Amino acid sequence: MDNFNMLMEGFATAAQPIYLLYALFGVFIGTAVGVLPGIGPAMTVALLMPITYSLEPTAAMIVFAGIYYGGMYGGSTTSILLNTPGESASIVTALEGNKMAKAGRGAAALATAAIGSFIAGTIATVLLTFLAPVIVDFAINLGPVDFVALMVVAFLTIGALLGGSILRGMASLVLGLFIGLIGVDDTTAQQRYTFGFPGLTDGIDVVLVAVGLFAVGEALYVAARMRKGPVEVMSMGSSSGNSAKWMSKDDWKRSWKPWLRGTFIGFPIGTVPAGGADVSTFLSYATERKLAKGKNKKQFGHGAIEGVAGPEAANNAAAAGVLVPLLTLGIPTTATAAMMLTAFQRYQIQPGPLLMETNGALVWALIASLYIGNLMLLILNLPLVGLWVKILQIPRPYLYSGILVFGALGAYSLNFATLDVVILLVIGILGFFMRQYGYPVAPMVVAMILGPMFEVQLRRGLQISQNDVSALVSTPFTWVVYGALVLMFVASFFIKRAQKKMESAPLEQIEENSQ
Amino acid sequence: MQTAQKNLGEVLFALVFVVLGVAGVIFAGTIEVPDLEFGMGPRAFPYIVSTLMLVIGAGLVFQALRGRLGAAEDGEDIDAEASTDWITIGKIALFVIIHILLIEPAGWPVAAAALFTGASWSLGAKPLWRSIMISVILALVLQYLFGGLLGVSLPRGPLLEGVEFLNG
Repeated sequence: MDNFNMLMEGFATAAQPIYLLYALFGVFIGTAVGVLPGIGPAMTVALLMPITYSLEPTAAMIVFAGIYYGGMYGGSTTSILLNTPGESASIVTALEGNKMAKAGRGAAALATAAIGSFIAGTIATVLLTFLAPVIVDFAINLGPVDFVALMVVAFLTIGALLGGSILRGMASLVLGLFIGLIGVDDTTAQQRYTFGFPGLTDGIDVVLVAVGLFAVGEALYVAARMRKGPVEVMSMGSSSGNSAKWMSKDDWKRSWKPWLRGTFIGFPIGTVPAGGADVSTFLSYATERKLAKGKNKKQFGHGAIEGVAGPEAANNAAAAGVLVPLLTLGIPTTATAAMMLTAFQRYQIQPGPLLMETNGALVWALIASLYIGNLMLLILNLPLVGLWVKILQIPRPYLYSGILVFGALGAYSLNFATLDVVILLVIGILGFFMRQYGYPVAPMVVAMILGPMFEVQLRRGLQISQNDVSALVSTPFTWVVYGALVLMFVASFFIKRAQKKMESAPLEQIEENSQ
Repeated sequence: MQTAQKNLGEVLFALVFVVLGVAGVIFAGTIEVPDLEFGMGPRAFPYIVSTLMLVIGAGLVFQALRGRLGAAEDGEDIDAEASTDWITIGKIALFVIIHILLIEPAGWPVAAAALFTGASWSLGAKPLWRSIMISVILALVLQYLFGGLLGVSLPRGPLLEGVEFLNG
């Protein structure tokens, strides 16, 4: 009941007119930037970081909550309306959503995505509300070696399970750990890898790395092999004559179950560091395809509404799920969560088991604004589709130049030092080569944040045990965690195999149809 | 298509990890260790990370030499068939450098406008006057929003010296 009161207080804070305005601003700008092709949610948060530099913590967190959910919404709009293959996280939505848009049912696809996202987001936020305090109660008793175990799991799943190549994922991860080492050691105040440069003693800012990898790296990569010709954006269905617009009764009937199933697939996957949105959308898609019957089943690959409703719900539920380990354990499991954590740290707020005690009011205001933001997104999204379509049509040279300018602004405004923009360019070039040679960039960002935390806990743990390494597997909790890790790797092997099979099938159909 | 070239690039890029790993191990030895340290000192984790990097890098070099190449990333605006256009990349990097050199002497708005104009021209935007116009408007709007409204200290530069509402 106490938590309920805290939540109500959170609502009282978040519902103040000025904070409502901040929330509205956050969801609007988050969606607008999220709609831009090539910009995922992590890059949205990283790029928009400077906006909050001068805001007080509560306002900043509310804006970030809006940006976080807005970025998710924006991504699905892109994949439904843009006639090109998208990022991997939303590719599942693109499979069916794009076909629906081609068949003049774009509005229905967008509607089922938006409503599904709203329902999933709301249910998942409720789950977050009730789950977070329980986990905090538990986590408060965890020792350093337990945290070491949790972070080992996070490292291995993020580095090895995501992406196609284990070695490349791990290379990206270790590079992030390495960059995280630069600067003054937290425990002994010794300089490490600074080579006497005063500019390096504070370390390299993770915002710089994220913006460099995501914004500059992406801009350079697109520049290297840009799709020529006009941008093809789907029409909204009215031009083809038949006024098939909104969702029909049948669409509703076919959507609500996938929405709920997607939610309960997405949320648990989001809470454990098992791959985030990517895995959950795929699992939801596979489930819907399996469960569909008769002529609905035949529609898969040609624009089945279940194939949009389920994965979109799963995607948003996973996004809320990711906040559970972030807020209760202080462990980010996706690049987006790592960015959120950075935003917290700028205000000297350290997420972790103590967060709800020390900054309870702030956390509950954040959670309350998640509910509010979600509702705003539902209301905003459908009427504003016309605007999003306009944004999608921005000529690419201007779009990527704008991203570069904004990235440079973010880098410079960190410390008002041109050296930071130089580092930005260097990291951007690194990001280009990583994309070119198939290295995922997200593990690097997460590792930069997690690395220093991991080292502190590891050293603390070994100090308590007086350098006895077996202490690392001495508590029952660590046994459970390492056991789960083994299971996860076995499961991922099967999921990956199924995913490969699934992905090759519908893509072939797409190619057949377009010829 | 260009496999040999891409192959070489991958080997070289993987070698960067090996080199970093070696350098990391060497320089980890130069980190000072305070006398009264027990438990893991400040060197241990750098040693672990650098060694891992070395091992993974070696594995990647080995894979690349055997012809197991990475899959280049996909994206909405990526033409998977196109070959890498190094000249455009070079141009854009050059304009970022120009931007860096301009920030302090000429002010942020001028530097930002130069970056936008240069980058969009490199990416094939036509005509040039439109890029310049958009860049000037964008730079002024951003300077006003961040410098004027949000109080971020962006230098407005000598050109806009007297314009108070753009003050960073």
